[in-house]
Amino acid sequence: MIGVISYLVFFATTASILAIAVLGLNLQWGNTGLFNGGVVAFFGAGAYATLILGGTPQAGHLGGFELFYPLALLGGMAAAGLLAWIVGLLTLRLRHDYLAIATFGVAVAFENLMRNAEWLAGGAKGVRGFERPLREALGDGFLYNLLFFAVVLVILIATYLFLERLVASPFGRLLRAIREDEEAAQSLGKNPTKIRLTAFVTGSVILGLAGGLYGTFYAFVSPQDVLPTLTFQIWAMLIVGGAGNNRGAIFGAFLIWGAWTASGWALSRFAPVEAQLYTGSVQFILIGSVIVGMLMWRPQGLLPEKLVVSQRGKTPLVKQGV
Amino acid sequence: MIQNLIDGVLTGSYISLGAIGLTLVMHILRFANFSHAELLSLGAYVALVFDALVSALVPVFAVKIAPLSLTWALSAAILISMVITAISALLIDRLVFKRVREKGQELSMVFASFGMALIIRNVIGLIFGLSPELYSKDIAFAMILSRDPLILVKPDQIFVLVAALVLMFLLHLVLSRTTFGYSLRAVAENPSLAQVNGVNLSRTIMAVWLIGGGLAAVAGVFYGLSHQLIPVMGRDLVLPIFAATIVGGIGSVYGAVLGGFIVGIAGNLALVILPSGYTPSVPFLLIIFVLMIRPNGLFGEARA
Amino acid sequence: MTNKLVYAAALGLAVGLPALPGTAQAQDCTTKIGAVLPTSVDWGRPIAETAQFAVDQVNAAGGAAGCEIEMVLRDTQVDPKVGVDAAKALVDLEGVKVLLGAVSSGVSMPILTSVTVPGGVMQMSCCSSSTAFTGLSEEGKTNGLWFRTFATTGVQSAVGAKVAADKGYKSVAVLYKNDDWGQDMARLIAADFAAVGVEVTTSVAINDGQPSYRAEVTEALATQPEAIYLALYPAEGTAAVREWISLGGTQNMILANSLKSDEFRDNVGMQYLGAALGTDTASPRSDSADAFRAAYQERFGSEPNGPGLANSYDAAMIALLAMEAAGPDASGPEIAAAVARVTDPNGTPVSADTAGFTAAKEVLAGGGTVMFQGATGNVRFDANGDVSAPAVIWSFSESGTEEVEYLSLPEVDAFIASLN
Repeated sequence: MIGVISYLVFFATTASILAIAVLGLNLQWGNTGLFNGGVVAFFGAGAYATLILGGTPQAGHLGGFELFYPLALLGGMAAAGLLAWIVGLLTLRLRHDYLAIATFGVAVAFENLMRNAEWLAGGAKGVRGFERPLREALGDGFLYNLLFFAVVLVILIATYLFLERLVASPFGRLLRAIREDEEAAQSLGKNPTKIRLTAFVTGSVILGLAGGLYGTFYAFVSPQDVLPTLTFQIWAMLIVGGAGNNRGAIFGAFLIWGAWTASGWALSRFAPVEAQLYTGSVQFILIGSVIVGMLMWRPQGLLPEKLVVSQRGKTPLVKQGV
Repeated sequence: MIQNLIDGVLTGSYISLGAIGLTLVMHILRFANFSHAELLSLGAYVALVFDALVSALVPVFAVKIAPLSLTWALSAAILISMVITAISALLIDRLVFKRVREKGQELSMVFASFGMALIIRNVIGLIFGLSPELYSKDIAFAMILSRDPLILVKPDQIFVLVAALVLMFLLHLVLSRTTFGYSLRAVAENPSLAQVNGVNLSRTIMAVWLIGGGLAAVAGVFYGLSHQLIPVMGRDLVLPIFAATIVGGIGSVYGAVLGGFIVGIAGNLALVILPSGYTPSVPFLLIIFVLMIRPNGLFGEARA
Repeated sequence: MTNKLVYAAALGLAVGLPALPGTAQAQDCTTKIGAVLPTSVDWGRPIAETAQFAVDQVNAAGGAAGCEIEMVLRDTQVDPKVGVDAAKALVDLEGVKVLLGAVSSGVSMPILTSVTVPGGVMQMSCCSSSTAFTGLSEEGKTNGLWFRTFATTGVQSAVGAKVAADKGYKSVAVLYKNDDWGQDMARLIAADFAAVGVEVTTSVAINDGQPSYRAEVTEALATQPEAIYLALYPAEGTAAVREWISLGGTQNMILANSLKSDEFRDNVGMQYLGAALGTDTASPRSDSADAFRAAYQERFGSEPNGPGLANSYDAAMIALLAMEAAGPDASGPEIAAAVARVTDPNGTPVSADTAGFTAAKEVLAGGGTVMFQGATGNVRFDANGDVSAPAVIWSFSESGTEEVEYLSLPEVDAFIASLN
């Protein structure tokens, strides 16, 4: 019994971390309509920077600053934000399909840099030597995992509340206005370029936060953690959960990660030994089919975006999202 | 240096073929089709099957066309594969993309194509296994064009380049001399106006998929001929093909051709400047570089 | 879970009856061990099959620690998140005390730091080669729970340099897989080549999943080396070597053990591999040396050629021997501590098959220690869970591979010492 609880806590921690990332993407895509095809670069920037800033000194690469943990995590978020700012300046004026490909390329280049620049982040070996905060005091058993989960959960809820308030604020309205009709927003004297950049950076900072927590949880990060698969997984969570709806984003994260792990468990339990070679491929076909099926029959996701009317009764100058 | 340049042109030939189809689809249907590169691997594997089939049925055809490693059987298989891949592309559109198009916005299409790419790639992996396959296990030796500096070219690659150029020329004739070519351009410019003027929209879309699929099949086989077939080859080719499309400018067939050669040459020349570990980033750096200077690519036009 | 009474009865049977090597003794209980391996990639599946093969042999000898062994296998998809989750599920839900895996260092490491060390579970990897594990262990963060049977990085580069020196190659170009193993190999081989006076003309990284390796090969070719050193896996190794040969590159090749693969030989072609010499760690010269090879051929119909197969077999076998030595209901740390009892250089030698396991049971029951003569050699772990082993130089033959030269452990150690 304790085993089941221990596993569930572990599972929920990973799912919650991913849910934070999905929330970050939801701000970019769901609310602002920015197609970020390089989610993993910002997630990875957060993870790498957190471990480099907070870790113990390692021979051969940058790091070992041993910063106080919350500062290291903030540093991770800042690194993701900085990367997003640079990428945003270069690419946000592009059409959406150009943007998707350009950001996809950013992620490829990020992984490439981490894999090759040994002086920076250990190369293919990755970054280790990170002491999880308070591990000395709590040990690293079930109690630690439980408390870590509690912290992640609090951060998830805080992120959710922050985004809900942001979306309901005039700024949130502006985001949707730009998403729906950029020129109309511009004609009202708004500066879409600046606002899109703000949303892109904010979303990426949240992605970096998720990455920082992920790195903390495993006390390790390597180029294998920043492959395009993760971008795809996070997108799948958002699409299935419901783009534009923060609750949908969280729901999608738990659902997809649950399905991903449960299908692996079920295949190992029930699939005949001879069929095990194929379970990887089968799993990807299933995931692909779920995405395509969702877009064909319910493109708005399981929990669709709700029409937000933040100032009832005022002149509806800005067209609202449908 | 000269060798890298020549290699780049040869690599560019199959990237160009892949990019032509993608640029048309992206132009007419207005979405970034991430599953286009999977049509290359579909075409390559279909040709593998028919190559084996034709060789078994008509053993005479299993003879190499000297000095190439291409057999008569494989040549026949390429034609069959073009037809099958073109029809598959059309079917995928009918079954999936068309429905998504009608239901959602154009951006849903991008993600649906992600999903389709995963499905196609893994179905191929299930059927053919994950290990590499080869059309011919014999190694075709390169010809020495010059000893100092050493310049080597494989006969297969010359064939691939010439065949690709011929196909591009044929396509050019179709686009510039036929009514179909005009209607294609009209649809791209303004779909509703074109329809008012009697252009059949759905037939144009159909033609785009057939052309894109057929050329993708050839590109896939040419790739397999120069290298090897693996189920994930679509994943490996997607970035170079997108880069070619974007560098050339979405919608421009000539841009795609030029873009393909630029990407090929850049990939081969990059090693002169960058350590070899960084090669996967080259197509991306190229995209960013070109878009900085020309936000719509070399031949692309801004559109509302 | 484990029934002590049954164990006692089984022990009684085993002691009371003359031991029949290779015959199964019925067991009423089952002990689970976990395996997290990338079964969805081309080279991952055979590694998992080989681990299962070792488990089957042990079960034929009546199981370990009084119970039949069931290996629960999970796919990692080479995705760290998926691998860590699978490992956690095996530890928490299946209650395993021993975990085999993973293959990639990038997956093994987070499993070690977040699942097995906190959970007090022994982790034995066949193939994770990163030097980061040694560093982690030196800092005392593995609690002695980490082992790997992958000996080959240091030994292999040293023997590779020996091949070049013996063959009289003056200059060598290096092509390496751009992952943690390849980057380590490239660094080590460059130093070892320098030590024996062979010039490295260039060292070119080969990235996974590139559409073409033409540029990389051209780069190496332009330096006109006398020979080429390949630290690659079969898929990209085949692509790069076919390109290399077609461009008229030298057929003097030195291969890391990852290319000891039938797929590579078949797709490149024997006619081009006549001058190719490979390196690998080896079984010791003893009567039981070929036990693993013979049994493997009987089971799979081919030689155990492919990255990590012998290592995977030894990982599973040593883990099971340690379980046997630790006795029923042992905890992870107890099993980890027992590894020394089954890889004792002064212990009774036992072979790598069912008979060997049966023999080991008897010795261990009598309080003795054994020396496991595994598929990769007389495996001997140091304090950090790393191993060293004898080495062999091999070449391709029509049927598979054949041995060219054997270097005993003292010879390997002496040669490595001479390089410094």
